[in-house]
Amino acid sequence: MLLHDRSTTAGAVLGVVAIVFLVGQQLAVMFGLFTLMSALVDNSGADIWILSQNSNNTSTAGDLPARYVDRLAGLADIEWAQPVIYSGAQLKLPSGRSQSVQIVGTTRPALEGGPWRMAAGSSDVLLEYDGATVDKLDLADLGNPKVGQVVEVNGKRIRIAGYTEGSRAFGPTVVFVNSTKAREITGISADRCTNILVKLKPGVDIRRVRAEIRELLPKASVLTVSELAWNIRVYNFTNTGIGSSFGFSTIIGILVGVVIITLTMYTNVLNRQRDFAVLRALGARRRDVFAIILFQALTIGAIGLLIGFFLLAGFLFGVKGSRLPANLPLWLPPAHALLTFLLCFLGSVLALRRALKIEPASAFR
Amino acid sequence: MDILLESPKSEVQSPMSSIQSQGVPGTPVLRLEGVARDFTDGRVVRRVLKETTLDILPGEMTVLAGPSGSGKTTLLTIMGLVLKPSAGRIIVGGEDVTGFSEDRLASLRRQHYGFVFQQAALIPALDVLDNVLVGTAIQGGRVSARTREKALELLSGLGLKDYLSSRPQQLSTGQQQRAGIARALVSDPILLLCDEPTSALDVESGRIVLDTLKRLSRDPRRGVVLVTHDPRVFPYADRLLKMEDGAIVYDTRSAPTGGN
Ligand SMILES: Nc1ncnc2c1ncn2[C@@H]1O[C@H](COP(=O)(O)OP(=O)(O)O)[C@@H](O)[C@H]1O
Ligand SMILES: [Mg+2]
Repeated sequence: MLLHDRSTTAGAVLGVVAIVFLVGQQLAVMFGLFTLMSALVDNSGADIWILSQNSNNTSTAGDLPARYVDRLAGLADIEWAQPVIYSGAQLKLPSGRSQSVQIVGTTRPALEGGPWRMAAGSSDVLLEYDGATVDKLDLADLGNPKVGQVVEVNGKRIRIAGYTEGSRAFGPTVVFVNSTKAREITGISADRCTNILVKLKPGVDIRRVRAEIRELLPKASVLTVSELAWNIRVYNFTNTGIGSSFGFSTIIGILVGVVIITLTMYTNVLNRQRDFAVLRALGARRRDVFAIILFQALTIGAIGLLIGFFLLAGFLFGVKGSRLPANLPLWLPPAHALLTFLLCFLGSVLALRRALKIEPASAFR
Repeated sequence: MDILLESPKSEVQSPMSSIQSQGVPGTPVLRLEGVARDFTDGRVVRRVLKETTLDILPGEMTVLAGPSGSGKTTLLTIMGLVLKPSAGRIIVGGEDVTGFSEDRLASLRRQHYGFVFQQAALIPALDVLDNVLVGTAIQGGRVSARTREKALELLSGLGLKDYLSSRPQQLSTGQQQRAGIARALVSDPILLLCDEPTSALDVESGRIVLDTLKRLSRDPRRGVVLVTHDPRVFPYADRLLKMEDGAIVYDTRSAPTGGN
């Protein structure tokens, strides 16, 4: 039974919508960023990454001897191993200013760890000496280079040979080139690389091979792709403002919602004291009053969830394919719904306390 | 037999059979024995209701009159099992309910009591029909088709047939009070307790309400108690009690030669 009149119900529903939408949107963007952070690793096609000694994520990694690749050749469970070069660089814009980019140099002819999705054509354009790809979503940042246009990175010329679509990462704009061009740009010598990507044969126990590689290369850091992806997310989450900023706005969203629910529920009980007293006089027990308030809170929660999820779906749909990354892991909406109901209950605690104190005799005053 | 404790389940069969069998005119539906009530104002304890012994008989209208502050509402709410007395015993339908838990008293009120308040005290968020049914549903039970029918019958009997799905705010105060009476009657109570039911009404609506209550009090299974400070209500009384300073100072029963 709803004792709420429509305007107070609407107010409380608004609180829930605030929680569901604001928090959901924050989380979607956060998970979108998570995906973006480890995109280069997740989409590298490799199972194991080798980094310089003592580094547990790509941001803190140095470089490695490229001959490590040859040492791995003796392991039967490995399908391929390829050196890759990741490095920051400066791209010169037509305006004369420069733009930070992330150079990814993939080894010819296999081009492992290269772009994983092209807007058109094939990544084979990277086989050409000066061929480079950039992402469609990043074109504006790079001064809208046309295909075929030559631009300078760290003073070296590259030719935009194709556009990728969604082959992007967190941080500076990714520019894919081949490893020869990457060495030219970054100055990393032919006998060094920054990472080695390792692909295992199907059905091989990844932990065992990881242990074997660690034994073989004691002066390198050997991580599975999922370990590395996790490390990168943790690193970025804690070492950039992302963690605190998203944590903050999520908490604000929750607080705003709880405060609105609490205020509307509490005000409603205050305004409806007489109604509750009358119900008590007519035979409602305390537990019935409890049930009424709880039912009210859950109803508000359910309506708010419905509207909130609807808005959230609209948001996700709207930003799909845009520069704003957003995605919700499947487990999140149910968890979010549970949290919302919990908060609705929390928001009604004060109202509940007040309502349970109302004496039936006060109906006659 | 403990009929008062019967669950709503058995209510379907014949909830008040035992009370009805006691509802013979002359056998009280309610008995107060030495009931008193104190209130604390800061540190001062005031006896607002002095020790009172009183029987309420079925089939008659008992009017409880007295000036404002004389303790009428206090006495009525004690009768209504809504306010605990500081002393004395309450016997409903022959059973001493003084020591009953709050929940058992609530169930008793729901099943056997009807209340009419000064202002109708309808719930604004519910329509008129739901307001009448709210008491039956209040403990989470389902409203039976029979109860619904009864509610419709009562409402049309009280001239509210066309207002079933109206909100209370859309009704005149007189109509609201009649809806309140329908709510009080839907459970077929053995005791109907009304606290100044006409004080917020104009003369004409007040007369309709009083006529209705008077008619209801003729049911030999039901006692009606009406609290008022309005002397115009006195003629409706089968029995008139007058209160002053927390005590009943006059009772037509013990002074059958007449009041004023
Ligand atoms: N909850 C309460 N706390 C303190 N005093 C009360 C309370 N309820 C009633 N009283 C006092 O008891 C006296 C009788 O009140 P009441 O029974 O409402 O009288 P009436 O209904 O005849 O106007 C009044 O003086 C009132 O102030
Ligand atoms: Mg009073």
